[in-house]
Amino acid sequence: MDKKVKRTFNPVSLWTLPSAGLLLCLTILPLVMLLIFSFMNRNLFPGQAWPGWTLDNLTRLMQSKTFWVLLAKSLGIGTEVTVICIVASYPAAWAIAKIVKPRSRSILMMVVILPFFTSQLLLIYAMMNLVQSGGIILTALQALGIEGKSILYTNGATVLILVYEYLPYMILCLYSSLESISDNLIHASHILGANRAETFINIVFPMSVPGLLSGILLVFVPVVGSFVEPGLVGGSNGMMVGSVINSQYKDNMNMGYGAILSCVLLIVLCLIIACVSFATKRAQRKIGGEV
Amino acid sequence: MSKGFNRVMMVCLWLVLAFVYIPIVAIIGMSFNDTPYGMFPYIFTTRWYTTLFTTSNLPGACWLSLKFSLLVAVSAVVIGTLTSYGLQACSPRVAKRMNSLIQMPIIIPWLVTSISILLLATFVGAGRSYPTMYLGNLIVVLPYVVLLVNARFQEMDRTPEAAARLLGASPARVFWDVTMPGILPGVLAGGIMALIVCFNSFALQYYLAPVAVQTLPVTVFTRIKSGYQADLNALSAIIILVAIIIVVLFSRMGYSAGSLFGMSSGSKAKKGE
Repeated sequence: MDKKVKRTFNPVSLWTLPSAGLLLCLTILPLVMLLIFSFMNRNLFPGQAWPGWTLDNLTRLMQSKTFWVLLAKSLGIGTEVTVICIVASYPAAWAIAKIVKPRSRSILMMVVILPFFTSQLLLIYAMMNLVQSGGIILTALQALGIEGKSILYTNGATVLILVYEYLPYMILCLYSSLESISDNLIHASHILGANRAETFINIVFPMSVPGLLSGILLVFVPVVGSFVEPGLVGGSNGMMVGSVINSQYKDNMNMGYGAILSCVLLIVLCLIIACVSFATKRAQRKIGGEV
Repeated sequence: MSKGFNRVMMVCLWLVLAFVYIPIVAIIGMSFNDTPYGMFPYIFTTRWYTTLFTTSNLPGACWLSLKFSLLVAVSAVVIGTLTSYGLQACSPRVAKRMNSLIQMPIIIPWLVTSISILLLATFVGAGRSYPTMYLGNLIVVLPYVVLLVNARFQEMDRTPEAAARLLGASPARVFWDVTMPGILPGVLAGGIMALIVCFNSFALQYYLAPVAVQTLPVTVFTRIKSGYQADLNALSAIIILVAIIIVVLFSRMGYSAGSLFGMSSGSKAKKGE
């Protein structure tokens, strides 16, 4: 049976009830709604009679080639953005965590994270202005005698803007991991004869994996589900899976189909989240951290 | 470590910072440029600021968003603080489960969150309305408050509370006079984070706001679809200024960038979750 020291019930824990209720009503129930609406045969509006059931949305989903192609494309863009973010963030995070003076570290990190406090749309808009035709970059290139074409309204622009938005999160995650690596450990590795590459592979990288994985989670998942960026700067071929879902509500008004698409996206993302959390636990066990 | 390697790393850092800040600096510069559409020649003017405060529809939307976000943030602070307070009394296993459940809305794409809440609202007959928008935003900002108040509880010495109880103070008195002063920085920081996140939560407002209600993110979205907006540049410059003030404020309160997002780089936290 259970261990005999059973925790006595503490009435203070009842204060969690309001938010438990909120979570139930606003996180769990809505997900159930996605399932219910997936199998409705028409839209439902407040005050209308209850529609009947159907499997049409499911068959339509299975036959729709567009959706699966776009899902693959979105996962591809997610990977691309995440990889670019990692490659760009690693040296920067290392520089902040290990090279600059300890006093400047927190200031620099605040500088890195500052864009979060402005707003997503503002960042998109700022980048759009920069790369638009007649914008600063193209004007500067022109002055140098190079005729460029604006990348606005292409998939490249979507990737650029997504990287721009999510880069700070990756730096933040990597910095938190890298900063906690003791200098003594790196020093010891050098004294024992390891060169820089060996130290990186055996010490630094393994210890940064938890931060890397939480960065991947914070970047990859939202990027795959993004719909604002492709809609604004992706142009006519810039659709991502989020755009299709969005258009089911904003253009076509097809609640059921939109709901089933959201379900599929959510399932795919949950699988990825589960893999990443599993990997995080393993990585933390490996480096002796708390699991 | 060799000097050359360090220099390369520092160059990478400056490149990244340049990438992040060039668009921001450019937009501030353009807000003072008389030539429309962000083009050249550059002629200094302040007329876009005049436009912003006289004919533009942005300040109205901004004001609405501010009032709304304040309401959401205050509610999130009350509920989030109580939740965190309660979580400390739960068994570690329950607390851990509950914490990860609360953090869910941060990771799940807001498009899916918004749609699912819209469907629920449709289901119960509320549809797109202020209460729906309020609840939707509340659930996505709650994690930030809980996260930051939790962190305070973990750093704090809980024995004075026990002492106060022992000396006969009522639970309410203990909470107000002993617990609250200890967690206040976390509560404030959580409130500011909630305010900012709610102020910017485009997807939720795009889906849940009553038809024809234009909050700031919704207005900005509609306007940037049609390209360059001179008065929006002016507003952006102001928002960036506010962001700088907020960041300085957080630094003064002793917060680092990591601790604002629940990433404690030190090893002392995370215990007794």
